[in-house]
Amino acid sequence: MMSEVRYSVMSPEAGVQKSPGGPPPGMGGPQPGPGRPRPGMGGAPPRTGTPAPTPYSPAKRLDTLENKTVYLVDIGFGGGYNFMLQLQKWFKENMPSVTTIVKRKPGHVFMDDRNDLWEEVKAKGHAVVLGVAG
Amino acid sequence: MLNLEQNYGIPVAPISAYTMESVAKSERGHHLPFIYTPLPVIGMSPEVLDKFIAGNDPETGKPVIREIIDALTNPASVRRPEAETAPPEIKRMVTPQALLGPDTEDNLQRLFYEKGWTDGLPIILPTEERVKKMLTGTSASPDEVVGQAFNMDSGELLRYTVQNIAVIAVMAGARPEHFPVILAIASTGQSALMPSTTAFGTMLLVNGPIRNEIGMNCGIGAFSPVNMANSVIGRSWTLMSICWGFAKPKKTLWSSQGNNLLYNNMCVAENEERSVWAPFHVGKGFRADESVVSIFRGWGFFNAPGTAAHRSVAEELNIQLAAMPPQRSEATIIIDPLVAKTLKENEGFNTKQDFCRWLSENIKIPAGQYWKFDHIDMLVASQAYQGVEPYASWKKLPDDALIAPYYNPNNINIVVVGGETSPLWKATDYNYVTSASIDKWRVKKSGN
Repeated sequence: MMSEVRYSVMSPEAGVQKSPGGPPPGMGGPQPGPGRPRPGMGGAPPRTGTPAPTPYSPAKRLDTLENKTVYLVDIGFGGGYNFMLQLQKWFKENMPSVTTIVKRKPGHVFMDDRNDLWEEVKAKGHAVVLGVAG
Repeated sequence: MLNLEQNYGIPVAPISAYTMESVAKSERGHHLPFIYTPLPVIGMSPEVLDKFIAGNDPETGKPVIREIIDALTNPASVRRPEAETAPPEIKRMVTPQALLGPDTEDNLQRLFYEKGWTDGLPIILPTEERVKKMLTGTSASPDEVVGQAFNMDSGELLRYTVQNIAVIAVMAGARPEHFPVILAIASTGQSALMPSTTAFGTMLLVNGPIRNEIGMNCGIGAFSPVNMANSVIGRSWTLMSICWGFAKPKKTLWSSQGNNLLYNNMCVAENEERSVWAPFHVGKGFRADESVVSIFRGWGFFNAPGTAAHRSVAEELNIQLAAMPPQRSEATIIIDPLVAKTLKENEGFNTKQDFCRWLSENIKIPAGQYWKFDHIDMLVASQAYQGVEPYASWKKLPDDALIAPYYNPNNINIVVVGGETSPLWKATDYNYVTSASIDKWRVKKSGN
């Protein structure tokens, strides 16, 4: 017996719009709750008509890491802090002129919602290693 | 990261596990020169981490440490993306009308499976005739927009109509009388599948008159795979989530182990008739005669193996919930009507709120134990650092100081389900997400 079926269930023909996306995924992820929509996955869907993203302009790279201060920032995923401690050890053994400071990012793991650490880096440091996502 | 680079002028070397490579390269992260460890770093010994650092990035084959140094010092390491444009406005709704050509049942089943439109089980093929019949289950227009969802696969926002959801309902095996519940679920825009490396679980709870009208099971074996309405309504939510793009392995599906509770999302009705307490939806502000579906989501699930023969129910739950520390004092406890009766008549809890208050005040664990739960450290510690109470105070306590992690009784949900063959329960860390009215989607009777 032959069947003819309606297949275009949720395809782009249904009307789609590019979204600016959300925070990176990983363990946990945002949990929507009553009155607490969060950006990105699982929360309230992004609104239509979002503004254009601002053009990306990366920071100027350093000439060298020698005699510089590098912040090793754990974003909060399990194991990230220990990874940064081992990275600090590597710098001590192999590039001793590099000062490294291990810090835990104070804001939400999925969001860049706090600037206090970045202010500290701006005042005292030169670069950031950020991780480890996943 | 963009904030650091653009607003502070600080060069950043971002690191991710290679398992998240597709995300790092997605729209959200494609500006940044990600460096990859071969595996997630969690639980790895210092020796293994040293090897990750000195070893090669699995994508480039270059040493990770070399890439870190390059990312901070070499201008060529930074990708400069092409100028982006604003997302297009939706000018009009287009209802999909495309049809597959005639083919055999076997070939079409295979096609749906290979396209990734199913949960792996055979579906009911959504022929025009079947979709048309499904649409008789609502008075809503086939073209009415039900909601919108973020498509994790394409990064796009997807609007869907009553007809789109009718196709899903047919595929799941639903009948027209189930359709209003499925539309109400779709109206929330919530996905049953979550893009996480963890294994989220979900629950769908139906309250109100429609439970009995469509034959949902809230009694014996309510969570068992025996009842059509419970099965197909729950499956519909999974199928629509899959079609929203949430099930592409390593692209939108990262759950390391997955969760087969998602086959029907613990879809169940509350046993309002046998409960000694007010129905769940009434506690959320709905009238008792309204039909409502509620969504819950979480991770931890304790299926009680025995009753409370030697301790009170409250003491048993105290022990079990203490092992599932909540993020925001959230828990959902599903109890048999016999348990509700015991709690009210033998243990003195006149209302659900009384019982929740008791749990909130009496479940205690050491602060050190709480903060060392990985998900608590990751998702709650940031609130402590920002001064949010009680987390900020808990963070300052010695490890052995006792805290009450279920500090807010309003975030503890009690649901009554079961057939009174044994006073059992299920304790979960699920949070209440939202509720949606089903009545809006029902067939309007003449004169209404």
